[in-house]
Amino acid sequence: MKDKTIHEDQKYIVGLLQNNAFIIQAIYEKFAPKVINYIKNNSGEENDAKDVIQEVLITIYEQAKNNKLQLTCPFDAYFFLLCKRKWLNELKKSSKKEVTINEEVLSKGDDVSRQAYETEIFTEKQQLFNEMFEKLGNACKELLKATFELKSMEEVAGKLGITYAYARKKKSLCIGKLTEMVQESSTFKQIQNLL
Amino acid sequence: MNEQDYILFEDYLEGTLSATEKNEFERRLAADEKFQQAFLTYKELSGFLESKFEVEPEKFKENLKNISDTYFNKTENKSRTLRFKPWQYAIAASIVVIFGLVVIINDPTPVYGDYANFNKISLTVRGGNEELLPKAEKAFNEGNYEESLLYFDQILAKEDDYKEIQLYKSIALIETSQYEEAEELLTVLSTGASVFKYDAMWYLALSKLKQKKYEECKIILERIPEDTEVYKKAQKLLRKL
Repeated sequence: MKDKTIHEDQKYIVGLLQNNAFIIQAIYEKFAPKVINYIKNNSGEENDAKDVIQEVLITIYEQAKNNKLQLTCPFDAYFFLLCKRKWLNELKKSSKKEVTINEEVLSKGDDVSRQAYETEIFTEKQQLFNEMFEKLGNACKELLKATFELKSMEEVAGKLGITYAYARKKKSLCIGKLTEMVQESSTFKQIQNLL
Repeated sequence: MNEQDYILFEDYLEGTLSATEKNEFERRLAADEKFQQAFLTYKELSGFLESKFEVEPEKFKENLKNISDTYFNKTENKSRTLRFKPWQYAIAASIVVIFGLVVIINDPTPVYGDYANFNKISLTVRGGNEELLPKAEKAFNEGNYEESLLYFDQILAKEDDYKEIQLYKSIALIETSQYEEAEELLTVLSTGASVFKYDAMWYLALSKLKQKKYEECKIILERIPEDTEVYKKAQKLLRKL
């Protein structure tokens, strides 16, 4: 995908990343009506559409922030597909069927579905990472939080009352612990198989 | 992986390994699949943690929620007003006719005030401007443009290429009738390659409109291309001019 040209609609991704109110409003004005229509025609209400759109935009934002999301297809199609699948998943959840990543809908065919597919995998991973982080011991959680909030390890050491060398070592070991927990989880194995 | 491996991952990511150690590390990455898998996951988790504890995403979510609320309130009101009974349509239609006549008779020239409805701005806090940005945001959103200009200038003094602030500053300048400076800023923005390019053109046109320089306003509006966000409102204004 890296050799493909970036679609001009990348401007929407950049706008989201910059938290640019003009662009976010434009996204709503241009692309929300189609999603609202679709959800209303498929046993949903306007409020459902509101939630779906908001969650999808947060996902896109997070992926862009983390992974340098580069759009190779029109934003319209990509965004609509993500919203549509999210809504279908919600419907399934409420009908109490078990929901995991649905391999049928995730065809890797064209550009749009591949791009949406990558975003969905990203979301799955974010959820898993969050879940695993919560399972870490308190000492690790506290240290990692301080590490990524404060930026300098000297500050972290000072705040937690430990030495600099120990803080650095602890950081590696805590992320190492997290790495192991993630790698051992069944969800992670499932995701790896989908890639 | 053992403890030493994870310490090595961290050193590699932070770039504190010597050249020999780095080569050895990369050789091992290529040769040992398990090592590589663990490293890639470690790296991904590092990135995840880094963004998890950032403040920007919270700012983004807040901004998004506001925009979403505004947007959906609008559409709700729209659908509510459409729930007329048939006889109400007749009344509504005659009201429209009367209003239409009034509008035609008055034939109003568009004025700046009709178009200068800015949505609330929301600025993402970034390096070193933690105090100034919220103040600028508040002043601007409350319509205290003079005051907001003071803050915008201080922010730009630290970071002169901050495009979003340049745009808001020029809006504040138009509001306070300092057209020359506003237009200078907007011209630079609208000829560059930033995401604010066409927003800048739109405000440049509004600046002309406010000064009743209709011909110049038209020329700028005509230059706004069809595939942009501001095209529709630009065309609407053009038709009225």
